[in-house]
Amino acid sequence: MSDYAVQFENVVKDYPTDILGRKKLRAVNGVNLNIEPGQVFGLIGPNRAGKTTLVKILLSLCRATQGTTRRLGRPVSERRTLARVGYMHENQAFPRYLTAAALLEYYGALTLLPEPEVRRRAPQLLERVGLADRSREPIARFSKGMVQRLGLAQALLNEPELLVLDEPAEGLDLLGRKLLREVIADQRRGGRTVLLVSHVLEEVAQLCDRLGVIAGGRLVFVGPTADLLVDSKTGQGRSLETALEGLYQKNVS
Amino acid sequence: MNLPAAIYAIRWLIRDTFRQSLATGIFWIMLSVTVLCVLLCLSVSVTGPAALHDKMEPTGFVARPPRAPHESDEAYQKRLADLEREAARSGTELAGGEMTLAFGLFHTPIGRDAADAVHFLELLLAGGVADAAGVLLALVWTAGFLPGFLDPNAASVLLAKPIPRWSLLFGKYLGVLVFVAFQSVLFVGGTWTALGLRTGIWDSAYLLAIPLLLVHFGIFFSMSTFLATCSRSVVTCILGSFLFWFLCWGMNYGRHVVVAAESLRESAAGLRGAVEVGYWVLPKPGDMSMLLFDALKAHDSFGIAPEFKQVQLMGAFNPELSLLTSVLFAVVLLGLSAWQFVTTDY
Repeated sequence: MSDYAVQFENVVKDYPTDILGRKKLRAVNGVNLNIEPGQVFGLIGPNRAGKTTLVKILLSLCRATQGTTRRLGRPVSERRTLARVGYMHENQAFPRYLTAAALLEYYGALTLLPEPEVRRRAPQLLERVGLADRSREPIARFSKGMVQRLGLAQALLNEPELLVLDEPAEGLDLLGRKLLREVIADQRRGGRTVLLVSHVLEEVAQLCDRLGVIAGGRLVFVGPTADLLVDSKTGQGRSLETALEGLYQKNVS
Repeated sequence: MNLPAAIYAIRWLIRDTFRQSLATGIFWIMLSVTVLCVLLCLSVSVTGPAALHDKMEPTGFVARPPRAPHESDEAYQKRLADLEREAARSGTELAGGEMTLAFGLFHTPIGRDAADAVHFLELLLAGGVADAAGVLLALVWTAGFLPGFLDPNAASVLLAKPIPRWSLLFGKYLGVLVFVAFQSVLFVGGTWTALGLRTGIWDSAYLLAIPLLLVHFGIFFSMSTFLATCSRSVVTCILGSFLFWFLCWGMNYGRHVVVAAESLRESAAGLRGAVEVGYWVLPKPGDMSMLLFDALKAHDSFGIAPEFKQVQLMGAFNPELSLLTSVLFAVVLLGLSAWQFVTTDY
């Protein structure tokens, strides 16, 4: 059993590009990554770098072609560890006929939380994400930002040991982003792990203890955010954008 | 995952299916059809039934014909008198009853007694409205439930929950089945009660239509489920289920034709073998309708296809095995759907 909250060992993921599966696209190429418990880890990279695929492998949404992945110290094939994980998806499409309160009850049940526990936590969470006054309205009437807030509430429903946020700021307004920062800070204070996938560089630099940069399916940098802000050759400071530009160009080409 | 947890999760999936049916209006559409049929039954009235001479004897009566257009009163009375004489000569009597529908708007002479008239109506409702049109319409109306549920943007968060994927699919399948069972109980139970209240005739055999219709629907919804896991397309689910239903009907009927026709039976052993394999592998909607007709004792009122009658007489129709193999096909298809769903990358 490993002590890491998240562990990828030489993980490879190929997607078939034709019907027969003879041609393949390598989305993730030999990724090794360990995230310690209690850490806020940021995963960044350009489009189609393999960030979301890594998250999907971690959450058992897809299977790695090769390698080993562990979630909360157990192989990802053990689904019961998902009861201790919260997940917020970037383009979440919740059933539009449900109300916010009903959605939390439904998703809480599928997380195997006891019904009284869900009934106790749902109003608190809706209050927290600013949807308490809209809790009895169908989701069909919600804006994108409100759906994202609801997505955050459902991800927190089981008080997760590992919170996975895939582009969580997408569609959120200023207050929504502030809320997100507060939630991440709370998780950190509670000694819980957060995996934040984002392309909003300031957000990642501000919130994360460590950073992983993925490009062309390979993990090209892992370390404290501060390390990336200093040019290793010259020893001079640089912006995150400049640092990432260099990494992307070197590894994608 | 332990059993109580699985039951707890499945209970919520069933609840979600009902919410979905309410939100999409399907619940109300099906309920409206039921209400219309119940109202029709409540509008039924049967008067002046002729008693049966022998309950086992199917044609011991002569139906009183309606007056033909442009037929004079005198001519009509003469015709009735002739019929009465004819009936008396053959040891029967002229049935003088009448059934009215829509609170007296439509009148129709009844062939036998009130029980027979009500039985005929129940057969129309179970065999025509529910079994043929009802099952196909239910397949269309519920075809969108699974593709929407399996859409990657909708399913990703659900699939990151600790319950196994197969139980998500099974829960949703069961949810649709419970929904259709609920509607079937309302339809059959409602029309049965309405007819009973109006006529005082309570034929409990009619209630057998509920499980038979549900099995029929469940078998073909397994194909819709399989198509949904493969394509996540509502159109594919509707067209595929329909085509499959017709293919199965064709195979079912074709097998009975081959068995019943002596010339085909003897001259084409290869064809017979192929048809037998197809017949036993695929679900058998024709046989299921026959089972429904048998359960409702429909043979007094409706004739069945001669090929179906012939295989029955030849002893080449095994209702239990036919039903069992149809259900087995659905179970295998659901297993394949679960495997497809479990192994799909999201």
